Amino acid sequence: MNNHRRNLFVLALVFGLLLASLAVIFTQPTKLGLDLKGGTSLVYQAKPTKQSKVTGDSINRAIEIMRARVDTLGVSEPEILRSGADQIVVNLPAVQNAAEAEKQVGTVAQLHFYDWETNVLGPNCKPDASNSAVTGGPNAGSAAALTHYNAVKLAASCPPKVSANATTSGSYYLVNSGTKPVTVTLASGKPKVYLPRSVIAGPEDTEAGLYTGFKADTQPAGTSVVKVPEGTIVVAGQASGKNGNGPPLGYFVLNDDPALKGTDITDPKQGFSNGATGSGEPNVTFSFTDKGQSIWQKTTRAIAQRGQEQQLPGTQASDAFQHFAIVLDNQLISVPHIDFTENPDGIDGSNGSEISGGFTIESAQRLANLLQTGALPIKLELISNSQVSATLGKQALHQGIIAGIIGFALVAIFLLIFYRVLGVIAVGALLIYTVYLFALLKLIPITLTLPGIAGLVLTIGVAADANIVIFERVKEEIRNGRSVRAGIATGYKKGIAAIIDANVVTIMVAFILFILATAGVKGFAFTLGVGTLTSLFTAVVATQAVLGTLGDSRIISSPSALGVTKTDKQRWRFDFMGYSKYFFAFSGVILAIGALSIGANGLNFGIDFKSGTQVKVALAQPATVQQVRDVVGTVAGINGADAKIQSEQSKDLGANAFSIQTPTLTPTQSTAVTKSLTAKFGVKQSNTTTIGPTFGQTVARGAIIAIIASLLVISAYIALRFEWKYAVPVLIALMHDLLITAGVYSLTGFEVTTSTVAALLTILGFSLYDTIIVFDRVRENVPRMPRAGFAQIVNRSMSEVFTRSLATSACTSIPILALLIFGGQTLRDFAFALLVGVISGAYSSIFIASPVLTRWKEREPMYVRRTARIAEAHGGVVPAFAEAREGEAPVDVPLPERKARTRLTSPDDPDRGVSKAEFDAMVADLHGDAPAVATDDPEPPKPKPDSSADALPEDVVMKDQPKKPKTPRNRKHGRSR
Amino acid sequence: MAMLAWIMMGLAVWHFTVFLPDHEWGGIVGAFLGALFGAVIFGFAINGFTVPGESTTHLLTALEAIPGALLGIGLMYFIGVRQERNAEAPPA
Repeated sequence: MNNHRRNLFVLALVFGLLLASLAVIFTQPTKLGLDLKGGTSLVYQAKPTKQSKVTGDSINRAIEIMRARVDTLGVSEPEILRSGADQIVVNLPAVQNAAEAEKQVGTVAQLHFYDWETNVLGPNCKPDASNSAVTGGPNAGSAAALTHYNAVKLAASCPPKVSANATTSGSYYLVNSGTKPVTVTLASGKPKVYLPRSVIAGPEDTEAGLYTGFKADTQPAGTSVVKVPEGTIVVAGQASGKNGNGPPLGYFVLNDDPALKGTDITDPKQGFSNGATGSGEPNVTFSFTDKGQSIWQKTTRAIAQRGQEQQLPGTQASDAFQHFAIVLDNQLISVPHIDFTENPDGIDGSNGSEISGGFTIESAQRLANLLQTGALPIKLELISNSQVSATLGKQALHQGIIAGIIGFALVAIFLLIFYRVLGVIAVGALLIYTVYLFALLKLIPITLTLPGIAGLVLTIGVAADANIVIFERVKEEIRNGRSVRAGIATGYKKGIAAIIDANVVTIMVAFILFILATAGVKGFAFTLGVGTLTSLFTAVVATQAVLGTLGDSRIISSPSALGVTKTDKQRWRFDFMGYSKYFFAFSGVILAIGALSIGANGLNFGIDFKSGTQVKVALAQPATVQQVRDVVGTVAGINGADAKIQSEQSKDLGANAFSIQTPTLTPTQSTAVTKSLTAKFGVKQSNTTTIGPTFGQTVARGAIIAIIASLLVISAYIALRFEWKYAVPVLIALMHDLLITAGVYSLTGFEVTTSTVAALLTILGFSLYDTIIVFDRVRENVPRMPRAGFAQIVNRSMSEVFTRSLATSACTSIPILALLIFGGQTLRDFAFALLVGVISGAYSSIFIASPVLTRWKEREPMYVRRTARIAEAHGGVVPAFAEAREGEAPVDVPLPERKARTRLTSPDDPDRGVSKAEFDAMVADLHGDAPAVATDDPEPPKPKPDSSADALPEDVVMKDQPKKPKTPRNRKHGRSR
Repeated sequence: MAMLAWIMMGLAVWHFTVFLPDHEWGGIVGAFLGALFGAVIFGFAINGFTVPGESTTHLLTALEAIPGALLGIGLMYFIGVRQERNAEAPPA
């Protein structure tokens, strides 16, 4: 296929894909994330139980059960995703009641039935069915309860009992056994006081699990660990309060030998306790499996017979009734009795049974649903929850779109001013790119989140960068004397390597980010990766086809139409390497200031890292901070004085906005805060985020792993594509950029969030983009300048790519600036880190990475000799740029270009006539391997300079072995001309 | 947090090695390693082989890295000069 046909084919493909993309855009819905449409997001961490370890299978089973539970909530388009090895993310659009959602979705729901009197343990660790001081007698389940501490200590004193039915392998508690209060530091850094003889944490399956909520994951001073052996459990009594929402009415110690499990029942339903003896209260009815029915009959018969045996003559039968206990997740739900007068042979399970006692309709429905969907195979700990109001989500989406449109428009203006006709083509390519990307987002489908929008806007800069790299190369080729058409062809050919190298690195960083990042940042990573891939197609393949097709037209016949002005005026003549020491010193001072600031101020970590709850509210009526604090303090379990409350001047939230930060709240408490504020002042919008201590640790660990993995992958790639010595300056420059960004964050006090981590990782990719462009030119110039010192080679390379580097940095910065100014609070934080990183990255690629490479390479014996020879020839001074003096061999030697497969049979530019090089190429094509010699050339051919003149055999390291010369093409097999 | 401050200060000090003659062992990269390891090891040592946490990091913590970084660079320079002298010395 010749070039013309290939171009037409590519254009047809681009057009076809464009039509298909438009069809997708107009027919497929856009999937918006919770931060854009409002809702509740819950993140759970899985923990093992006796029955099941945390494996891929157990997490997948848990997800299936959770999905079934979410379906009972009637939520449209819920998302339940696995995140990392042991986390599950549940996104519930439009659900604002996090407390209800949490109860419904994350409850383990392990249901067990115990014969009460034979299992509840007395002070000697033995059951005593006839002793009402142990069993509670007729008031079983509420009387004879112990304090939590006493129950744990009693359970710990019991001997281990191995039982096939046991629900745990033993459990751990952290207690304050002393006589003085103990103050422990929570993971959030806040102190909390525990009274003497109190339980601080537990039950946990491992000792280490007790410390996850505390600073440095270590045992707090003054506390002790108590192990309850296998075969004994501590259960909380029935909950107090009208709706069963209060604390438990004491604790009991039981033999862990349940008669029945949740798996033995079927068809649980919410009903009402009707009938002759019914109270009309809500209850849960259920049937039994065949096995369950048999066990139920046997157990209730034993309970009934025991009651009969214990009835003393002359007493009421009801005084001797025995009980069974229904325990859900280590809490008593109810302790009903068996009436042996009515059921002397136990209860026949064929008609099912019921659980009643203190239910509301909602709580009975919830229990029925939980039993219906089954118990979760693993324990789930809620480590983060957030609620975004729908209005706030819509506002964020609107701001993101505005920032995107403005970013696009500014990039388009930049391209049009600098590249004129080429700019028009680039803007067209950008438009096509945007349509493709949007269609891909809908087609895959990718859930569009706020960070995802940031990724979208950012890739506009990436797509434009690819065009700039090629266009600058095209302009350079034209300035060097090539025709417009030849300049375009050569520009694409030479520019493509740098673009691929730079984009591959960005894609690799996006991939690492996608694998290791938290759910919110995954959207950004995915969009960045897909966008970069798409931009390779539109910015390189599509624009080349357009320019190839337009090659013969008058539109681009003039170099000035492409933005090429006076020859050689564009090249910079600055001794980059000579002055680099001053730039080094400048960086050193900035870093020292940053280090001092980090020492003095530290970093302002957001709750993503510290744990806690943040409620952002927009109040309908004006209020003072103290008034808000007073309202917050009325919520049970919250000390108003502990809350950090700030009035916020935010465009997103309006005039009466407040940010309330407290120690970690339960979903019930955070909902109560919003409700209290609504009752007092009215709440227009609210956004609640709760982060548990383990979530912050997971984020921090993931970030460190992601940064190390990115640096390793980047180093390996640079070492493979360039040379290992090129990888070290790259790493140093990346470190410089990351630390400068950290220093700026410390100085400005900007909050460090998970978005900042994503931005830092993206900086790695962008910083490298510029460095690769510079190093690519150095790599190209090294064999071309066989007599120049390395500093001269780098100076020359820098002067050639400096404009390109400035242009790409500007083009990347423009959309980021748009995000910073128009993107709203979340995107603004993200954009700030990116902007600092991109500026620092552009600076470091020129003034840090290249000088380090130069200084290091100049120690190589070959360059030591070259530098000495140059200095000797120039009176002891090495000129900044290599220039041949009279009588000297030229600085540049022609490099053998790869022979193009196409044959040159016509000049590049018919109007300009045939250049000597083109004439020689045509002659060579016509005469096969015969050398092209222009007979009327008055100058004798100059001898080729020896490129290894100053190299010793050991210095000559050939990265690529020269290919064997191709055998002449058998023309008989060629296409007829 | 202290570790971050030490590394930053070590890197800051390293930036000024470009004003020294290029005699360090491993060149500018050797000096880089010397500055970073020197800063971290020295900071670690004078804090009783512990890394101060977020609440105990202060302005002086960052300054603690400077002598370590200078010592690290000095060590690299000393090794480099000695190697050069050995290479230049005529064989016995």
